[in-house]
Amino acid sequence: MPAVSMTVNGKAVTADVDIRTLLVQFLRENLRLTGTHVGCDTSQCGACVVHLDGIAVKSCTTLAVQAEGCTVLTIEGLAAPNGPLHPMQEAFREHHGLQCGFCTPGMVMTAVDMVRRKGNELDEKTIRHELDGNLCRCTGYHNIVKAIAAGARAMKGA
Amino acid sequence: MSATGIGAAVRRKEDLRFITGKGQYTDDISRPGETRAVFLRSPHAHAKIKRVDTKAAAAMPGVIAVLTGADLAQDKIGNLICGWMIHSKDGSPMKMAPHPAIAANKVCCVGDQVAVVIAETLAEGKDAAEKIKVDYEVLPAVVDAAKAQSAPAIHESAPKNTIYQWHLGDAKAVDAAIKSAKHVTRLDIVNNRLVPNAMEPRVAIAEYDSGTDNLTLWNTTQNPHVARLVISAFVGMAPEHKLRVIAPDVGGGFGSKIFIYPEEVVCLWAARLVGRPVKWTSDRSEAFVADAHGRDHITHAEMAFGEGGKITAIKVKTIANLGAYMSTFSSSVPTYLYATLLSGQYDIPAIYCEVDAVYTNTAPVDAYRGAGRPEATFVVERLVEVGAREEGMDPAELRRKNFIKTFPHQTPVIMNYDAGDYGASLKKALDLADVKGFDKRKRESERAGKLRGLGYSSYIEACGIAPSQAVGSLGCGVGLWESAEVRVNPTGSVEVLTGSHSHGQGHETTFAQLVSERLSIPIENVSVVHGDTDKVQFGMGTYGSRSGAVGMSAVVKALDKVEAKAKKVAAYMMEAAEGDIVFKDGKFTVAGTDKSVAWGDVTLNAYIAHKFAGSQLEPGLKEGAFYDPTNFTFPAGCHICEVEIDPETGNTEIVGWTAVDDFGTVVNPMIVEGQVHGGVAQGIGQALLESAIYNAEGQLVSGSFMDYTMPRAENLPSLKVDTTMTKCPSNPLGIKGCGEAGAIAAPAAVVNAITDAIGSEDLAMPATPPAVWAAIRKAAKMQKAA
Amino acid sequence: MAMTMAGEQLLAAPQEKVWAALNDTDVLKACIPGCETLDRLSATEFTAVATNKIGPVKARFKGKVHLTDLDPPNGYKISGEGDGGIAGFAKGGAVVVLTPKDGGTLLTYNVEAQIGGKLAQLGQRLINGVAKKLADDFFVKFAAAVK
Repeated sequence: MPAVSMTVNGKAVTADVDIRTLLVQFLRENLRLTGTHVGCDTSQCGACVVHLDGIAVKSCTTLAVQAEGCTVLTIEGLAAPNGPLHPMQEAFREHHGLQCGFCTPGMVMTAVDMVRRKGNELDEKTIRHELDGNLCRCTGYHNIVKAIAAGARAMKGA
Repeated sequence: MSATGIGAAVRRKEDLRFITGKGQYTDDISRPGETRAVFLRSPHAHAKIKRVDTKAAAAMPGVIAVLTGADLAQDKIGNLICGWMIHSKDGSPMKMAPHPAIAANKVCCVGDQVAVVIAETLAEGKDAAEKIKVDYEVLPAVVDAAKAQSAPAIHESAPKNTIYQWHLGDAKAVDAAIKSAKHVTRLDIVNNRLVPNAMEPRVAIAEYDSGTDNLTLWNTTQNPHVARLVISAFVGMAPEHKLRVIAPDVGGGFGSKIFIYPEEVVCLWAARLVGRPVKWTSDRSEAFVADAHGRDHITHAEMAFGEGGKITAIKVKTIANLGAYMSTFSSSVPTYLYATLLSGQYDIPAIYCEVDAVYTNTAPVDAYRGAGRPEATFVVERLVEVGAREEGMDPAELRRKNFIKTFPHQTPVIMNYDAGDYGASLKKALDLADVKGFDKRKRESERAGKLRGLGYSSYIEACGIAPSQAVGSLGCGVGLWESAEVRVNPTGSVEVLTGSHSHGQGHETTFAQLVSERLSIPIENVSVVHGDTDKVQFGMGTYGSRSGAVGMSAVVKALDKVEAKAKKVAAYMMEAAEGDIVFKDGKFTVAGTDKSVAWGDVTLNAYIAHKFAGSQLEPGLKEGAFYDPTNFTFPAGCHICEVEIDPETGNTEIVGWTAVDDFGTVVNPMIVEGQVHGGVAQGIGQALLESAIYNAEGQLVSGSFMDYTMPRAENLPSLKVDTTMTKCPSNPLGIKGCGEAGAIAAPAAVVNAITDAIGSEDLAMPATPPAVWAAIRKAAKMQKAA
Repeated sequence: MAMTMAGEQLLAAPQEKVWAALNDTDVLKACIPGCETLDRLSATEFTAVATNKIGPVKARFKGKVHLTDLDPPNGYKISGEGDGGIAGFAKGGAVVVLTPKDGGTLLTYNVEAQIGGKLAQLGQRLINGVAKKLADDFFVKFAAAVK
């Protein structure tokens, strides 16, 4: 079994893994970071989105060994420990952008990446288009769209 | 209204853990020594199992056990059951075929469990499952409800694949009304099969403690107590007091997590056999074939009209596809949750409905958000809309003419509507949707080469499920009350234990709002406990939009008792008569004096018990209650959908959505709006996108998110959501329920809008671009021919 | 909803030679895409192992191949059923007809195929394309083999 090393939420981690281990399995099972979820097996739902070297990826279609030497950010590391919530997390709560909460970590990580790529002023059309890779069955996306627009604006000041 | 009381848009208490990744869903739990279960599932829709050879699999690395249906039978593990008895019109009971948790003699649908591997790791389990050899003798399969009754029987006990032939209403009166009608509208309707697809797939973890003989099941369920009852009493896994069921955070249910499924039974059984915890996590591909599906009706419906558009009768014949086995509540969905709502919001003197339920070689079908009521609403609201068009009447006017205007109103199909103002929601919706400006918008669309249409859905539902005695008389195997316990701590903080279960609905917030308001304590001082049979004594769970109307009513009853007891304590503290104590704004006051004690003083005194003797009053402050509703509740409203269609591509864009709902008392408008959004999204999904498609051999060919079109953000519009209010008279808070309304209302509104735009009623759901394109062309061709 | 496909291939070889190749285990083994083993049990029965990929699902099929309706040297029906384990199954057949044409042989075929289980769940959309590609692969190799 190959050894894999990466930095996850600011901490260096090393482990021996079966070569077929997916990044999401590594995060959930080896590191017990269970905030990243698995909602499908065809890379469609986006519940597993994390940031790999600052870019959103679906951790269900990334092998753990592909993250060798990379920096991984998961929902657990988005806000500083014991610090205030990230503005995007706060916006999801304020705008009721979640119900069951299962898709939420992936939504939030996707939203933060969307701001990185598209800026702080996001219109409804852009947000809806950019959410193509994230499924939510509870909210009808209405409040997720509102939350992302507000979170994006709040990130400007943060 | 206080800032955290009833009616306030309080931000959700549960959100902090969800937005920080600290939620605890079942798959997030890992037990020491845990093993993994992998199911081998049938690739055939219908086949005899001639032989299952597990030798090679058992010899694979990491394999602890390979178990089959024969092993299950040998251990006398009982079959899964359907808990609602329906009798056919000839009086015979429904034909419930055996449903073993692992198939032993034959498989009846693709995905049926044939064997299970218990292994050290998931990968080892999957590798071993590859090595199980099964000899099948493939049998012909039937997937269509329409063909089921002429196909060879799937189960010996159900000739012609017919589970029951049920009816409700007065056939003679309906036939007479149709005969003498001025006009009759006739429609053939297919209500498409849907896959619920909660984002969290199902998971079960079972653990056996041989020291105490206790079994524990962590499970993605909407009703842990019902699961425990069925698994104990019917499956015979363990006595009820030796089985604990825990439903931690659950990632959406929509009905699909009500049912008792084979996998959780197998995990419990295997955990005891191997002496280690057993965990099964469904992947999405498994979920598509192993979760219960929804809808799947074929219907012929007729609506009779008299003078001036007066509806005089409805006649409905439906064939309901219940799939390969009868799931837990499947029998009730196309009967008492369906035909009883065929009066809609209208005063209709005569209604008759016949329903044949059939077996097919497809996944079992059971309740999915709305359960029966979306199907009923689709029938009624399509008939009304088409009737109006055929009679050249304004569809809103035709509805208004026929609305029930006085309450209570007894329909010809069991239900007694207690309160409502259907005209008010219609009027508000017409204004909000700017229906007056529609013609102008339509002309603008036409100039751009687009078709524009407007569709209404004035739906009604029966929620707050349900009075136990009433549902018992209709065949339900359980009572549908709810329980609550209010535990007050010495320092005055409160734990509310409820049998309702939240899987996204926000009970930790709304139930706390109720307590905060009633006791005038900060909402932070209230926690809500649910989803654990060891903590909550009993409960019936969450479905049928019942948590507010039934679950919160039980909390009210318990709070009444808490207040009564606290008044006694306060009376001893102030040396006053109990009858003179008034509780208001968090203070107990002796009426007519300025003598008062605060909530926290009273709760402390209830526990330190220095002011009264044991012979006078029991110490402590904890009360429980069971609330059994006296009627269903009847949320109703009007949704208006406006679409624009590109005739060149058939693509439908929803350009406007207005929802005006009467949910009675609204506890948290933010959460209620969220429920409407989600329901409407699922309804639009059914109308435009979603369809579970089996090919003729019984293979599910829309079995992944690549093929089954889940609504995505870009498919859905922004929604205008508002309410009107008539209080529900049958429960203490006046709540009607809001969870299912959107999914019930939406499909008819969408299809009414599209058919309005294209000028043809010949369109089935889902109205995909190719389907709409073909309908436009067919209509043009027929017009040309005529 | 079985998948059906028809096609033809002009081969630069006399009909007898083509017919012989169609009955030659080694030729068939070399031409069937992904074929690992093909063992003759009798004149008309073989066991086979082949690995193929349909969309995201890769499966190793083990099964039997039968020849029926033998009409030497004008054609036969070749049919098979493969068990792909947890991936599901594939079964189907092809009616193959040989006719002399332009000094060579015209081979026409009518294929009917069915897949089940996970293969159908995830790969049904792709089956026509996959089947077409498998048939093309087969005939390119087969044409070379009989040249």
